[in-house]
Amino acid sequence: MSDQTDVLQGTLDLLIMRTIALEPMHGWAIAQRINQISDELLRVQQGSLYPALHRLEHQGWIMAEWGASDNNRRARFYALTKAGRKQLTTEVEKWERLSAGVNLLLQRT
Amino acid sequence: MRLWHILRSRLRSIGFRGRRESDLSEELQLHLERETDRLQATGLSREDARLQALRLFGGVEQIKEAARDARGTGAWDALVRDTRHGLRRLVRDWRFTTAAVLILGIAIGANTAIFSVVNAVLFRREAFAEPDRLVNIYQNDRSGNPMIVTSYSAYMEIAEYTDIFSGAMAASIPNPTRYLHDGAVRDAVVEYATATYLSVLGLQPSRGRWFDQTEERRGAPIVAVIGYQAWTRLFRGDPAIVGRVIRMEGVPVTIVGVGPATLRGTLDIGLGTDFWLPVTALPAMAPVPALRDAPTIFAPLFVKARLREGVAVAQAAAAMNILGRRLAEENPDQFRNTGEFALGPGITVIPSTDVRIHPRADVPFMALASLVLVIVGLVLAIACSNLATLLLVRGAARAKEVSVRLAMGATRRQLVRHLLIESLLLSLAGGIAGCVLAWWGMRTLQTIDLPFRVDMNVDYRVLAFAIALSLVTGVVFGLAPAIKATRVDLLQTLRDEGLQPIDHRRLTLKNALIVAQVAISVLLLGGTSIFLQATSAAREQRIGYAVDGVAMLETDVRFAGYSDSAAKTAYDDLLRRIEAIPGVEAAALLRGLPMASNTMLIVVDSATGQPGSEVEATMLEAGPGFFDTLRIPLLYGRVFDARDRADTPRVAVITEAMARKHFGAVDAVGRRFRLQTDPNSWTEVIGVVRDTGTGDFEDDIIDPIAPPYYRSYTQSGSQATTVLARTSRDAASLVAEMQRELRAVDVTLPVITAKTMAQRLEESRAVPALVATLFAILAGLGLVLASIGLYAVVAFAVARRSREIGIRMALGARSQQVVGSIARGVAGLVGVATGIGLFLAVLLMLALRTSSGSAGIGIGSISVYRPSIDPLALLAIAAVTALVGVAAAFVPARRAARMHPLAALRHE
Repeated sequence: MSDQTDVLQGTLDLLIMRTIALEPMHGWAIAQRINQISDELLRVQQGSLYPALHRLEHQGWIMAEWGASDNNRRARFYALTKAGRKQLTTEVEKWERLSAGVNLLLQRT
Repeated sequence: MRLWHILRSRLRSIGFRGRRESDLSEELQLHLERETDRLQATGLSREDARLQALRLFGGVEQIKEAARDARGTGAWDALVRDTRHGLRRLVRDWRFTTAAVLILGIAIGANTAIFSVVNAVLFRREAFAEPDRLVNIYQNDRSGNPMIVTSYSAYMEIAEYTDIFSGAMAASIPNPTRYLHDGAVRDAVVEYATATYLSVLGLQPSRGRWFDQTEERRGAPIVAVIGYQAWTRLFRGDPAIVGRVIRMEGVPVTIVGVGPATLRGTLDIGLGTDFWLPVTALPAMAPVPALRDAPTIFAPLFVKARLREGVAVAQAAAAMNILGRRLAEENPDQFRNTGEFALGPGITVIPSTDVRIHPRADVPFMALASLVLVIVGLVLAIACSNLATLLLVRGAARAKEVSVRLAMGATRRQLVRHLLIESLLLSLAGGIAGCVLAWWGMRTLQTIDLPFRVDMNVDYRVLAFAIALSLVTGVVFGLAPAIKATRVDLLQTLRDEGLQPIDHRRLTLKNALIVAQVAISVLLLGGTSIFLQATSAAREQRIGYAVDGVAMLETDVRFAGYSDSAAKTAYDDLLRRIEAIPGVEAAALLRGLPMASNTMLIVVDSATGQPGSEVEATMLEAGPGFFDTLRIPLLYGRVFDARDRADTPRVAVITEAMARKHFGAVDAVGRRFRLQTDPNSWTEVIGVVRDTGTGDFEDDIIDPIAPPYYRSYTQSGSQATTVLARTSRDAASLVAEMQRELRAVDVTLPVITAKTMAQRLEESRAVPALVATLFAILAGLGLVLASIGLYAVVAFAVARRSREIGIRMALGARSQQVVGSIARGVAGLVGVATGIGLFLAVLLMLALRTSSGSAGIGIGSISVYRPSIDPLALLAIAAVTALVGVAAAFVPARRAARMHPLAALRHE
């Protein structure tokens, strides 16, 4: 895996966790929410969304439970775990430091 | 918390694989539907929206795979898949699988069972507290070799050294003792110990208490501590055991406690100690009447002491040496004699952890144990090399399959993993078979009636070792072909197997393994022949006394609470009644069983006034009428009669062997000797009889007893216990008639022994026969295993050469020539192997012949049979091996010879 993928993957994890921090959501809704909130700037590929969700669950940051979706279908809802919440704070800080650094670099050169 | 989530998620992933998969499908399905809904809302038709959604989504299966990988369960899934595949393969190759599982099962099972027995007897260690501060103390003989502490008074002197030892204890060599339980007289193993015994070992009784100093005084009411195993086995852990009274040798004994669960006995050689009695109870219980009234208690005692903090072994040794010299000055009588077993002034102190049984017995004992282990190890080696051969053969046969799979895109890692899992499955199945066989073997071994009881359990360390070894074998030899096979030249193998150059090398791994297996089997057969030789030599020995028509009946009036005079009347009555049974020609009373021997030290009168020579001799019990009943011819003097009473001078009838060895002439009538332990026991020789075997002919061959002499119970002041009778009719029915007469005298008298002389002789052969059988089974197993390996190799070679065979037969070779060429190869292998095996067997026999093999410590010795090298036996072994080799090679060779040339050419 190249470094680029890592960064992207890390970013996707951050986006997912931030999105479900407010309320538990199922996969499709997460993708939609990211899409809407970022004013359609960010587009989540399904090909990476589900592996990311499963990986995060596997790592214990998020947990999944079956529930009824808004159109009354059975859906798998993802929610942050306690550890996931802590992890989100760290990830957000990390991202802010990174973007601040990148911004500084872009402005000053 | 996070850890909990991770664990739960993983367990769920692994445990509920099916649900996880359906969850994943459902989740993705829902996503697709919602996406379709969304696209439909933008104005597309339902169908278009669905297609569009699918396009956007990408490969569903790829996403699933990626999601699975993200969970880290990919490796697990592969494992499950490979396991299933492996199982299917093994089921399909059921011949190979059965052979391999059988080999492993036999090796693991047999080894575990046999080792568990050996381990129970030889290697188990006692759990004493702080064992490194315990020392063993021995009195030395005149040449400075450790013997055993022979008297209670010597032990008392040792125990006085409280500045060196924080405590000292003594325990006798385990004694066979009889006790009455549930109306039957049973055998028990008893140790006579001191009150300090348990505290010096640093252990606690599990119930009640150990006996105390007042109970160790002579004349005190006799108490006992029952061993934990005896308590659970014989009394089913009865909590009311403490306070119970048991009659031992007719004497009432009160149980005061139950020993620690971890303690089986002072000498842990498999003989679990059932009871511990105070050492001072020994005279009252003594099976040897001579000891009963002795002023000092002479007993072979093991002495152990606990060193005080900061005291070194050397300090203790120095102090004990001073004591030894003092003892020699104070009791010159005890130290005056010469001879192999005479007491010397030295005392040996050795850390207890350095001694297994006795410093002088350990070497031969361990040699014996190692021999058994080597044999067991050899069988394991055969099994492992056999498995290796099978796996090698199979690996080579699967080269084509491997090539196909490689060509289809399988990675080497996948292939190796797959083959590895298959090997592990095989080893596992073998391990399970081994466990079952081991368990069954132990149960079988335990049902065999041995004269002593051995506490045996399946030794799990050994089981684990055997399984681990089979796993390693499985992995190493399962993997070696896997790696070799994955290196095959794809095109070459796929194109044509037959064009491969034929392997003409002689020294291949497979051949070496086969030769090793056959050679080891031959060696084991050689070992078996030694046992058979010993057994047949024992059978051919001159018995020297009457066996046919002779029967015996043993009872003990003490268990029925008779007074001495009442006992004499009862026995005289019994003897009269038995003499009156029709057909009875002669009968006699005696103490103990006929020809049962008791080894002891005697001092032979030099007849010149010099100090006597101290030698080993064996005492046999007899009574008036004994020699007539057993038809033992008298050579000189007279035999026992009514003149020999407790108040007349002690007399003995000796054998011609003893007369010749210790008195220098067969006519030794009138000469004297005495017991080493009792200066007042001078005994006059009144007669010399012809030599006979003892009751144990096997032992007579392997380890002949010291020259025997006879004493009469009428002089020891004790009661007879046994009636011996000879009839002109059937001895077995005489046994029943004698028991009827016993009941007629008094129904409360217990029957201890009731058998014919022939039965008694047969029983003495039980143990050697068992050993010979075990050895034969091992050798047989080895040969069976080796022939399986041989078969596999030949079958494989034939399969590989089928094209060559086809060509040769197409060109006019006859089937005999084909069989001949295969047979030559097999004959070469078997010949070389047999040669090596026979050579090793002869070396073993030569080693046994020259071994000194015996280590006297005054308490018996360990000896091995010295075999002669029997060319006929060696020839027979070679013939058996050749036969097995031919049988193993015949089937595949015949198949090759019967093959139609065309079929052979098309083969594969």
